[in-house]
Amino acid sequence: MNNIATQRIKREFKEVIKSEELAKCSIKVDLVGDSYTELKGEIAGPPDTPYEGGIFLLEIKVPETYPFNPPKVRFMTKIWHPNISSVTGAICLDILKDQWAAAMTLRTVLLSLQALMAAAEPDDPQDAVVAKQYKEYPEIFAKTASHWTNVYAGGIICS
Amino acid sequence: MGFDLVRFVGEVDEELLCPICTGVLQDPVQAPACEHAFCKGCILEWLLRQSTCPVDRLSVNVLQLRPVPRILKNLLNRLYIVCENSNYGCQSVVKLDTLDSHLSECEYNPKRPFPCEQGCGLIIPKDEHKDHNCVKELRELVQKQQQKINEMHQDMATYRYEMTGIKDEMRVLKGYVRALRVCNPSVRAVADELERDEIERWSSSLPQARVTRWGGMISTPDEYLQNNIKQALIESGCPAHILDDLVKNCHERNWPSGLSSLETRQHNRRHYDRYNCKRIPGKQAVIVLPCDNIMVSDDMMSEPGLIMIFAHGIE
Ligand SMILES: [Zn+2]
Ligand SMILES: [Zn+2]
Ligand SMILES: [Zn+2]
Ligand SMILES: [Zn+2]
Repeated sequence: MNNIATQRIKREFKEVIKSEELAKCSIKVDLVGDSYTELKGEIAGPPDTPYEGGIFLLEIKVPETYPFNPPKVRFMTKIWHPNISSVTGAICLDILKDQWAAAMTLRTVLLSLQALMAAAEPDDPQDAVVAKQYKEYPEIFAKTASHWTNVYAGGIICS
Repeated sequence: MGFDLVRFVGEVDEELLCPICTGVLQDPVQAPACEHAFCKGCILEWLLRQSTCPVDRLSVNVLQLRPVPRILKNLLNRLYIVCENSNYGCQSVVKLDTLDSHLSECEYNPKRPFPCEQGCGLIIPKDEHKDHNCVKELRELVQKQQQKINEMHQDMATYRYEMTGIKDEMRVLKGYVRALRVCNPSVRAVADELERDEIERWSSSLPQARVTRWGGMISTPDEYLQNNIKQALIESGCPAHILDDLVKNCHERNWPSGLSSLETRQHNRRHYDRYNCKRIPGKQAVIVLPCDNIMVSDDMMSEPGLIMIFAHGIE
């Protein structure tokens, strides 16, 4: 990995670990191996959402060209969400694509993902089936999402 | 890319960091509207991908980048940084604006060129001395030079071949000119004039000479000496069409009646004392050309000129 990418990720990794704000939101990052090219993220499902109580694991791959290109992030924990593929965990989020900016950090990315979980954008879906259900049968959607959280993310059962 | 923050002594203000590399700003520039500052290298790299400010995504292109305010530069220059060769033992801590001049003379710089002291004397970066092998380096050098020599040999063969061709063509041309001269009087006149011009030009390029000791004349030079003189004439640019005849005229047997023996020479001493002589560069010898000595009578001159060789006494 080139110097900028390594230097950036080292600093950002420390930033996330130390941050109280992130600890409060239950966001964590761990190294995978010791090369700083791959990390493991962890986000707690936001309160008052079907994801509450679940812990969602993320795969974060740092490209050689970071921070000029965004990190590649994917949900490893299965999740029922209009902007996240229920099959592959691929995420549809503008800042991970064309709206990325070099000054953004792992912290920005993780907080944005948590915000996305709290407020889906069904008009820009990653998973069409989920998005349709989200718009047409919101109650069934909430139940399914909650069930998935329970089964895959170790969440508590909501009645 | 900016300077690693850990190299700085004391606190560094957040404002002095590059938002792209998170290092301390190196060679900073700023965006026009939002005034966000970045290392020049970092922002150029980013703008290759997107024409936006990496912090707030306002539109920016390369041409709009501005120098940062002097106050920011001053703040940067006041920072103290550890030399990048600290791993190699340099303990210097310098102000950021003197870092470059320190680096250029830092003794611990592993890349500093240093002559090999084990014999080959090649100048190599200091950190390569450990694995350096004089024999191996020199062998490579010899091989490289051998290759160059081979190339030059090939070139030479080519030139030699071309030269032979040119010589042949010249021979043909000369024959042609000679034939023209014989059959056409006006061509002969032109050719004669060209040759005369050539002799005069050559003569005026030679230094004037004065003979102080006529007694030192060598009137019967041997073949070795004659060849010697011929070589000097060629080097001085002597026109080719008179060269051979001129060289012949360095021996008294080819001299005119007024000079052909010791007796006649002693008799005509006062005449040749007035010769207008030219020096053959580097030799104790002079040339007496008809064009320089129009008033001299026929028994004291012969075509295309005379050469007189001396043991000494030419000025
Ligand atoms: Zn900006
Ligand atoms: Zn930078
Ligand atoms: Zn130094
Ligand atoms: Zn050597």
